[in-house]
Amino acid sequence: MTKAWQIGIACFVLALAAVFGFGVPGLPAETGYAGIGPRFAPATISIMLAVVGVLLLVQALTGGFRGFTDVLATVPPDARGALWVSAGVLLNAALITRVGFVLAATLLFVCVARGFGSTRPLRDAVIGFLLVLPVFWLFARVLDVNLPRLFNDWL
Amino acid sequence: MIETWNFLLAGFATALQPANLMWAFIGCLLGTAIGVLPGIGPALTVAMLLPVTAKVDPSGALIMLCGVFYGAAYGGSTTSILMNTPGESSSIMTTLEGNLMAKNGRAGPALATSAIGSFVAGTIGVILLSLFAPLVADLALKFGPAEFFSLMVLAFVTVSAVLGASMLRGMTSLALGLAIGLVGMDAIAGIPRYTGGVPELIDGIEFVLVAVGLFAVGEALFNVLYQPKDPGSRNKLTSIWMTKEDWRRSWPAWLRGTAIGFPFGSIPAGGAEIPTFLSYSTERKLSKHPEDFSSSGGQGAIEGVAGPEAANNACSAGALVPLLTLGIPTSATAAVLIGAFQNYNIQPGPLLFQTSGELVWALIASLYIGNVMLLILNLPMVGLWARLLTIPRPQLYAGILVFASIGVYGMRQSAFDLFLMYAIGVIGVVMRRFDFPVAPVIIGMILGPMAEKQLRNALSISQGDWLVFFKQPIAATFMLLTIAVLFVPMVLRKKGVALSEDD
Repeated sequence: MTKAWQIGIACFVLALAAVFGFGVPGLPAETGYAGIGPRFAPATISIMLAVVGVLLLVQALTGGFRGFTDVLATVPPDARGALWVSAGVLLNAALITRVGFVLAATLLFVCVARGFGSTRPLRDAVIGFLLVLPVFWLFARVLDVNLPRLFNDWL
Repeated sequence: MIETWNFLLAGFATALQPANLMWAFIGCLLGTAIGVLPGIGPALTVAMLLPVTAKVDPSGALIMLCGVFYGAAYGGSTTSILMNTPGESSSIMTTLEGNLMAKNGRAGPALATSAIGSFVAGTIGVILLSLFAPLVADLALKFGPAEFFSLMVLAFVTVSAVLGASMLRGMTSLALGLAIGLVGMDAIAGIPRYTGGVPELIDGIEFVLVAVGLFAVGEALFNVLYQPKDPGSRNKLTSIWMTKEDWRRSWPAWLRGTAIGFPFGSIPAGGAEIPTFLSYSTERKLSKHPEDFSSSGGQGAIEGVAGPEAANNACSAGALVPLLTLGIPTSATAAVLIGAFQNYNIQPGPLLFQTSGELVWALIASLYIGNVMLLILNLPMVGLWARLLTIPRPQLYAGILVFASIGVYGMRQSAFDLFLMYAIGVIGVVMRRFDFPVAPVIIGMILGPMAEKQLRNALSISQGDWLVFFKQPIAATFMLLTIAVLFVPMVLRKKGVALSEDD
């Protein structure tokens, strides 16, 4: 399992190297007095990504990342908790412009608390709402940061 | 000398204005709070507070943000001593002896020695900062692009190679950060790169987004996945009075900690990990009571708390030297602070003391004031802070993520950014899981475009001659140091020292 992940990480880095590398020819080649132009840094960085990617892949295939003991390998990850937290963050992102910041953030609060093991969603909703509302007022009314509203400056 | 004194007095005049005092106080308050709370660190907090820069004047906002940076170094010890988990990674060493003292009914003196030690070290650190910063700035005025570029290369290498268990993984993080930094307009020719035709990406990817994604979302997801749900036991708070013996054993440790912390803060070695570790091992070696240390099964040695805490704070002050005079961040938090300056179109660097002298000296003066505030906040009021630790984890992380989403959304009112924040958070979890350091990502992303600009300018001046980096003495020195630094981790690892990063 760990090995598959490590190979995956190495491949991700190599993929990034490819994305950045293939973008280089599309950039202007002019170099001016410096002898290097807008292509130089992207080319260097994609080579750097490729080199570390290959080295990571070699380590992953030959006994795993060096200096890394996977102490968490035996810990069963709490996938359900992570799903709740993810749902909270993604729902907030999806709903913020539709139901306004206050409600979306309250929902985020409830979901994350649920993910971390809270079993009283109603109480969390109340706490979340009471936390979010004054923050919304502070941002919307004092700092003039435009957070999405449901009705007006108050909600 | 006299000149510095006058500037400093003028700085105090600005810093003592009621509004600025209030900002300093808010910063110290927030800094202590997030220092105490696990799961939220100074880099994240400063990043989330950046929207404030849209509305508040530069001196007020920067005074506050520096207060956060500074206060976090104070608050971290409370968590280390009362719970067996460090509030910040730089407090790991404090946890060893501090928590042991607390278990044996001496939580009060442990908290007192760390608060007073932080004050002593912080104050000495700021004095050194006031003395050295103008000198370094003067020296740095002679720097051209070649010197700056080689200095930045040194910073890249130290930050990614010295920290963590693996140079390769550090370099991977750095490469990721540099790659993210490429997205957007190129600094010299103004050519958009890697924007994929998305107009929002022309300005680049906001580092706040990346910092919040990695530190808030990544941290929350990692904790929900892998941490046990029941909180550890808490130690009882006892009277904070230190005995005569405690004082006698503490003060040399404070001074030694300061002497170790300040220089380490001022070089780009990635935060307070190394100096706190060095201070701890120094105290253990020099102590007349080695039997008290945890390694000998003792009851907790007060030197082992006093030294690292002093080192931690001196390091924070030291980090401001390269930040203000060279514009080089030495930790993730410092990198985010540079972002705050840039929001005001102020570029930290040697010219800062000339172009924004008033602001810089007000900032430095406010650090003196902040130290006093923090001593008061952390000594008599430590009981109040300890109560923050009673916030249950579900509501704590829920609150952190709510604030994280405000910080990200508030930047440019884009729901797309919130999705991107989640995606970066997922990358953050994988990085945490497989021990990739996070700080090089942030530093690479902020420093990368600056380094490219310096490189291209340097080569323009030298007409494309790459040897310029080795011909000029200062640049050559930095380059040689860079090569030397590459060998440091090998030496450290041989001695069995494992370092982790400071976020």
